[in-house]
Amino acid sequence: MNEIAIAPTAVPTEVEEPETHETAMPELPWLVIVWNDPINLMTYVTYVFQKLFGYSREKAHKLMLDVHYKGRAVVSSGPKERAELDVARLHQHGLWATMEHGT
Amino acid sequence: MSFRRRIRPSRGGGYEVRLAAEERALLAVLPLHLVSLLDEVGDKPAGNLPDPLRRLLPPAYTTDPDAERAYQAMTRDDLLEHHRESLETMSATAKATWLDEEQLAGWLAALNDLRLSLGSMLGVTEDEAEPPAGHARQAEWIAYLYLSGLQSELVDLLEGTLPDPVPGADDLVPDDLWGDPPGGLRWDGTPRPRDP
Repeated sequence: MNEIAIAPTAVPTEVEEPETHETAMPELPWLVIVWNDPINLMTYVTYVFQKLFGYSREKAHKLMLDVHYKGRAVVSSGPKERAELDVARLHQHGLWATMEHGT
Repeated sequence: MSFRRRIRPSRGGGYEVRLAAEERALLAVLPLHLVSLLDEVGDKPAGNLPDPLRRLLPPAYTTDPDAERAYQAMTRDDLLEHHRESLETMSATAKATWLDEEQLAGWLAALNDLRLSLGSMLGVTEDEAEPPAGHARQAEWIAYLYLSGLQSELVDLLEGTLPDPVPGADDLVPDDLWGDPPGGLRWDGTPRPRDP
């Protein structure tokens, strides 16, 4: 990506960037991801998203289309325990869900 | 819809079920086959299970074996019990002409479990409307497609019973986090082959 020059770049600076990304890691939310599979009915997946997460029909439908056409979609995020609970609820409904740390 | 609904809301609450005796016989016996397979799972790692069962017991962590073992130890029994309960509910009420809401929820889950296991065994790909010509397992294919039709009808019915959306819930997850990978991805993150 091109950087937009807002100051002359010819002046070198010795300012050290504080390394904040190391300490921020544990606070990143976990992402709950649903993966495409050829068996679950599209209408069923939409229904489950509405039932489990309280999404509107439109949002649930859009997430289902992302799963179907793009292969996966993030359907919820939060602390590890919350994400594990959501994954377990999705597994009980037969959806192929995994979780990973946000990036 | 031009076809007559086989399951519909009953005037006094619950649901009326109108199915042929042959359909009921199938719905009574199929779930029990799957229950007997689930009884043999125990704490075997999902990787050691045959396809039809593995699909019912998916992993939560795909890149962290320790976290995955801990997760399975914590959730496996509940998940097995959930599958078993739904399947036994459908089998036990397959001859009923009226179901309460909880029993119908059991039917939906059982139909989905049966389709997942049958579909995995058959190697179903996207949205097949008829058995592939010459496939050796025509009977299983017909059962799979029958269950798909019934499940689809149930989803349409139950969607109308969902509570109102939770205010603000839609904004909790971002739209389209990864953009659009060409061709999409499989469940394990590898690219999906293009449709022929």
